[in-house]
Amino acid sequence: MPKPNSHPKVDEIDAAFRAGRMDRRAFLRTATLLGTSAAAAYAMVGLPMPARAQGAMPHGGTLRVETTVYDVSSPPTASTTAHPIIYSNVVEHLTRVGTDNVTRPHLLESWEPSDDLRSWTLRVRPGVTWHSGRTFTADDVIWNLTRLVSDEVGSSTLGLMKGYLLTEYESDELDDDGNPRRAHRLWREDAIEKLDDMTVRLNLKEAQLAVPEHLNHYPAVMLDPDDGGVFGVEANGTGPFTLAEIDPGRRAVLVANPDYWGEGPYLDRVELVDVGGNDQAIMNALISGQVHGAFQVQPELAPILANQEHLQLHEATTADTAITRMNVTHKPFDDPRVRKAFRLALDAEKAVAVAFGPYAAPAEHHHVAPIHPEYADLPPMTRDVEAARALLAEAGYPDGVDVELTIQQNPPHHLRSATAMQEMWRDAGIRAEINVVPNPQYWDVWTTAPLGTTVWAHRPLGVINLSLAYRSGVPWNESAYANPDFDALLTQAEALPDPDERREVMAQIQALLQEDGPIIQTYWRKLLTFYDKRVKGFEMHPTYAVAFNEMGLDEG
Amino acid sequence: MKLALFVLRRLGQTLFTMLAASFLLFALTEFQPGTVASKILGPYAVETQVALLSEKLGLDDPLLTRYARWLGTLAGVIENPLSDPALGLGLSDPRGTQYVGNFGFSLMQKEPVADVIADRLGNTVLLTVWAIGLTIPLSLLLGTLAGMRPGSLADRAISTTTVILTSLPEFVTAVVLLLIFTAWLGWLPGTSPLDPGDRWSLGAQLVMPVTVLVIASSAYVTRIVRASVADTIGKDHVRTATLKGLSPARVIWSHVLRNAMIAPVTVILLQINWILTGVVVVEAIFAYPGIGSLMLRAALFGDIFTVQALTLLALAVAIVTQFLGDLLYAALDPRIRAGT
Repeated sequence: MPKPNSHPKVDEIDAAFRAGRMDRRAFLRTATLLGTSAAAAYAMVGLPMPARAQGAMPHGGTLRVETTVYDVSSPPTASTTAHPIIYSNVVEHLTRVGTDNVTRPHLLESWEPSDDLRSWTLRVRPGVTWHSGRTFTADDVIWNLTRLVSDEVGSSTLGLMKGYLLTEYESDELDDDGNPRRAHRLWREDAIEKLDDMTVRLNLKEAQLAVPEHLNHYPAVMLDPDDGGVFGVEANGTGPFTLAEIDPGRRAVLVANPDYWGEGPYLDRVELVDVGGNDQAIMNALISGQVHGAFQVQPELAPILANQEHLQLHEATTADTAITRMNVTHKPFDDPRVRKAFRLALDAEKAVAVAFGPYAAPAEHHHVAPIHPEYADLPPMTRDVEAARALLAEAGYPDGVDVELTIQQNPPHHLRSATAMQEMWRDAGIRAEINVVPNPQYWDVWTTAPLGTTVWAHRPLGVINLSLAYRSGVPWNESAYANPDFDALLTQAEALPDPDERREVMAQIQALLQEDGPIIQTYWRKLLTFYDKRVKGFEMHPTYAVAFNEMGLDEG
Repeated sequence: MKLALFVLRRLGQTLFTMLAASFLLFALTEFQPGTVASKILGPYAVETQVALLSEKLGLDDPLLTRYARWLGTLAGVIENPLSDPALGLGLSDPRGTQYVGNFGFSLMQKEPVADVIADRLGNTVLLTVWAIGLTIPLSLLLGTLAGMRPGSLADRAISTTTVILTSLPEFVTAVVLLLIFTAWLGWLPGTSPLDPGDRWSLGAQLVMPVTVLVIASSAYVTRIVRASVADTIGKDHVRTATLKGLSPARVIWSHVLRNAMIAPVTVILLQINWILTGVVVVEAIFAYPGIGSLMLRAALFGDIFTVQALTLLALAVAIVTQFLGDLLYAALDPRIRAGT
């Protein structure tokens, strides 16, 4: 067990909490990230650990859940939060971020950061075995982490950890223009270091607080090295279920692993059913009891489903959003004045009211949510059509600009949101044509379209999204934004464990994004779904994670 | 003998049409955005990987060379280059790398196209058999009833209803049925994923999609049958038969129906064609795992090998139903066989 006060920064934030400078939620998250166990952290703030009624959990039965059944043969390259519902109960993460936004060790027993946050000792949980019977060890952790940040695999984990684990260099190969290709390698050979069979140390280039949360990034699951990085039926894992069957586009079947090292599983079997992604079909399947629950439900359908006696609404307040990003390699978005004009021409509150009603909150064009601990409350960026026009004129567009906004067909609120922006932009001389494309087709152009709206999932800290999406040269940098000042500030923020201190840097980052950034952001979304009332133990998670081992089905 | 020649000539034409169409199809899929190699490797592939794969698959060869290679793979003459384990794509086909009907791999599902389609095709055939099996007797009965006495009460009732039903799109009929039988009465399941673990039987899951298709098809076919019967019934030979004293049933059966069937046969064959390859809306609303919804998904995903295979399938179905139609006309009207 980790000592409650093992890290000196814990005393610091404890003092901040007691002085009233830090709220309970921020304290809990930061203390647990610094290696304090969740139970100890809850005790320090005088709260009982949220406990679920395990004794009452019914045993047995088959749970049926609607979701898109993707091909998941390569979890490290999973590209949506719907992929892990299939694999993450078979192959698991080292840590888990709970529905309370607190990170807890999972395949790890504990972690200990050094005082400067540049060295993280990860202790593997003893007694975890693979389905094959082999013990889970430090070698498994090292093999997976190394693979997750390699160029060959192409996992988004690379972007997340690049800042503190990797270094960029010019490879011998040339691209089409004859320039050397950029490639990555560990910043030093022992960046991922084995201390003994059950202990791994990460030696970081830069201080980083969110390492435990990054270890819960959805593609970062522990695969058996003997499977060669391929996931599928009968793949070896450490999880509460095994994958018995998968037919992408149709169904997947998980069967309970009775020898699971952790809680549960209580269910015998989980069947994941794909109804083609059609919202109407999802609603129909829930109403006629063909599935017990759905991956998510669109707000438009919530009023109808709420009338069904057998269904229960579950919702989560999140940092889930859609970002209308301007790719700075295209005109007119290469000019920061134009980018700012696009923001100034909008009234976020009106846009939210039109597109979502009560199921969203207005955002401020910087991708840091009020629920993030380091969120800085900036003066509101109010609509100023005249200023927007003036900026456009200054940038050489006195007659305004004509642009095409590419959005995904589903869910339908994308079009409502885009139309709201289109109408408001018109007043400032921005003439936008909306180009609606089928969802999969959008992912072909999401990093290249000049102006497009991309969905971004909730992440527990503000810095995580910023690091995935706006740091120069990372794979998910869809706007091609490259600003050394921004990169430096972000790296600085990532090294500050105290949210109050981090907030000061974040205020600068947020202001920088409002002024110069490549994004337009009008809303934060709530996530909704419905489950049959007989299903026990389900909680809507802000990243849609589902722990089937903690769920039961009352078949009475 | 004449009939055999007629069949042979039609078969030859059919094969030629297929071949020409397959080339057009192959050339058209070239205009898809994104290269084949980047589609196979996914959105996070490094450029070097894409370049390497393009080279191995010969994607930079001229169009004709690639078409010949595709046709060769399809005919089982050459190996499918994608199955090469050295590519590290993890694509494997239990039939081997070389067989007749090798359409390659579905990029969406990472499985051989043949498997992806076979599963769905069975479901669609099931839907078609039920829908057409009910549409033919229903529309013959109603159409004849209405056409026998044009202007009668039965005719007006049937004609008005069918006009209304043909003008209703399938998604409207589907939503109305869903409101009544799923949301209100709770008698039928709201979707038909044909999933073995479903609490509703497969039969119950088939009822609504089949009903929507039968309504859409039979309303149309009924109108054609009615028009054709009404037209035939006024012909001289029918009047003669009636004047000879034959019973009305006999007159309808032997003298009207056979002559009135040519137009409806064409329409019924077109309906089969449509249900087998083009029922996108109904399949999407009811989550029915058939060819139509697969085509939609594959096209949206850019799964070009699946799209190619499905388009060829649609083409084959169209040509085969046409061929059947020609044979049926010939059987119904011997004058057609003469080839004039």
